[in-house]
Amino acid sequence: MIEINTLSHSFAIGKKGNERKIPVLEEITLHVKQGEIAAILGKSGSGKSTLLNILAGFMVPESGVVAVGGQEISSLKESEMADFRLKNFGFIFQSFQLMPGLNAFENIELPLKIKGMKAPERRAVVEKLMMEVGLSEVASHYPNELSGGQQQRVSIARALITNPPVILADEPTGSLDSETEQEILDLIRSLNRNLGVTFVIITHDDEVAGIANRQYRLHDGKLVKGVQRHAI
Amino acid sequence: MQFKDQLGFIGQHMKRNKLRVATTILAATMGCAFLIVLASVGFGLHKTLSDDILENRTVTKIEVPGKEDSDSVITPQEAEAMRGIPHVKAVAERSRPQAEGEARLGERSAYADLVFVQYGNEEKAGLALSDGAMPAAEGEVLVGYHFAQSLVTEEEQENAAEGEELDGFAGSLVGQTFEIELKPFEGEGEPVIREFTVAGVTEEPAKDWMMDSSIYADASWSKIIAKSLGTEETPREVLVYADELQYVEGITEKLKKDGYYVYSVTEELGSMNMFFTLLKAGLIFVGTIAILIASIGIFNTMTMAVTERTREIGVMKAIGAQPKLIQRLFLMESAAIGIIGTVLAVIISYGISMLANWLVPMIVMSSLGEEETGDFNILISVIPWQLVAISAAISIGVAMISGWRPARKATQIDVIQALRQEL
Repeated sequence: MIEINTLSHSFAIGKKGNERKIPVLEEITLHVKQGEIAAILGKSGSGKSTLLNILAGFMVPESGVVAVGGQEISSLKESEMADFRLKNFGFIFQSFQLMPGLNAFENIELPLKIKGMKAPERRAVVEKLMMEVGLSEVASHYPNELSGGQQQRVSIARALITNPPVILADEPTGSLDSETEQEILDLIRSLNRNLGVTFVIITHDDEVAGIANRQYRLHDGKLVKGVQRHAI
Repeated sequence: MQFKDQLGFIGQHMKRNKLRVATTILAATMGCAFLIVLASVGFGLHKTLSDDILENRTVTKIEVPGKEDSDSVITPQEAEAMRGIPHVKAVAERSRPQAEGEARLGERSAYADLVFVQYGNEEKAGLALSDGAMPAAEGEVLVGYHFAQSLVTEEEQENAAEGEELDGFAGSLVGQTFEIELKPFEGEGEPVIREFTVAGVTEEPAKDWMMDSSIYADASWSKIIAKSLGTEETPREVLVYADELQYVEGITEKLKKDGYYVYSVTEELGSMNMFFTLLKAGLIFVGTIAILIASIGIFNTMTMAVTERTREIGVMKAIGAQPKLIQRLFLMESAAIGIIGTVLAVIISYGISMLANWLVPMIVMSSLGEEETGDFNILISVIPWQLVAISAAISIGVAMISGWRPARKATQIDVIQALRQEL
């Protein structure tokens, strides 16, 4: 599903003409199969967020190949990448990234609006998913009226609403207490199992990485370990 | 994204910043209203003067006094050719004797303006009667509506000199026989005296100030009287009447092309229209400056909107919104400010225009010491739909241009930087 081959990237610091390059990713090669949960582990500054940003198309790598579902994404134009993201990716962020002016229902509905789906059709799809992730009771609540766990559920529902084959999660439980963290991990696991969605989770937490079928550990921009813990 | 959803999206954002958006709309409204009201003064004065010209004459009448290339008269054949021009309703030919005339009825007399006409053509041109019938027998004539009033006795004339009003001839003139004495302007020819019977009286002129005391005799009298006076027949004055005002310009141009001296209402309006077109363009230009000032407010509002919503734009881009969609949403928001501002400005401008048209004549009248406005039909401000269309295009166009840069900025927002922003 996801193929990353000899991916390298560096950041330039200093003034123009006198720049210095700091490598953040070096020769990364990893593969994630469809329906897997892959965890990319690493400490702060290890390059895991950069890897996610490149995988999501937010950043173009210096060298290497990133392919998702057979499509080489680093060569896509900005508008093509936006379209690709809409069809292929769902995002779960550590700080939820919900729209403060939209209620839970409207937040989940947003990707469908962007996709151009008509309102009655949207309503049915959103209501069904909200029921599945246990959010029906808080549909009309705004983000500031929801608990952290509920906000992350809204974020997960928003990521899933377009039925993308891949969900990219950046520290999905980083802002949650341990009890809520477990709830969210259970939800991810069940969605992966029931819907067959591929998850790529960026985390520094071994417990979160524990739900993954496959773990990759990054250290100073280098892949130090790739372990397949259990088959799908 | 469906258009309806796009509208809902910008509506939500505008609601969230009610005060800022409202003040920006207010600025756009004031700018646009200033433009409309200012330019409406140009339109108002233009209309007032045009109406004045159109009201004070028969607008479909084209005067053809002669030909450009010679002093020759317009021949009956040429007049007939004019009848063949499309949309010409009638061609009336008129002439006057080269003599001074006096009409006498009993002890009453009046200055006699004898005009030779062709009754049939005059009827086609719109001549109507208030009394009697069209002349049928030889020696029968039509007299103008005010002819009876102009027939006065010597005593009445003396009293009039002392300020008394002239009563003139009382009763109907139809059937009355009067004589005309004509003295040639030049030469030493003998005066000619002829008797005529009044067959009909023409209709009262449309305007109060117009007087019609002429005597309309058949054109066949022209030769007879000229011979009796020993003078030459005077050149015919030709009046061409168009079906409707819209055809006057075309007929005027055609007659000019054919080498005639022509004078019509369109000639008079032409030069005035040019002046007012320039004046209106100037006023619209000055008004546009006010809109440009308002556009600074729109630019600021939209720039702040983009800055405040950086994180939201980042999220939208992350979940797959096209840069073009982001740009369109912001452009629509600035256009919405322009549209709402324009709609309010149009309503306010019509209000101000009506108030000005009601109040200014009253103020002018009171300053002149008059109580009633009477015939003082001055329009200070007129807002035609064209002015509304021009102002709306300028106002909404400027609003969208103001929103263009912030909208571009929104599309260039870096997703990673945007998502790092704190809530």
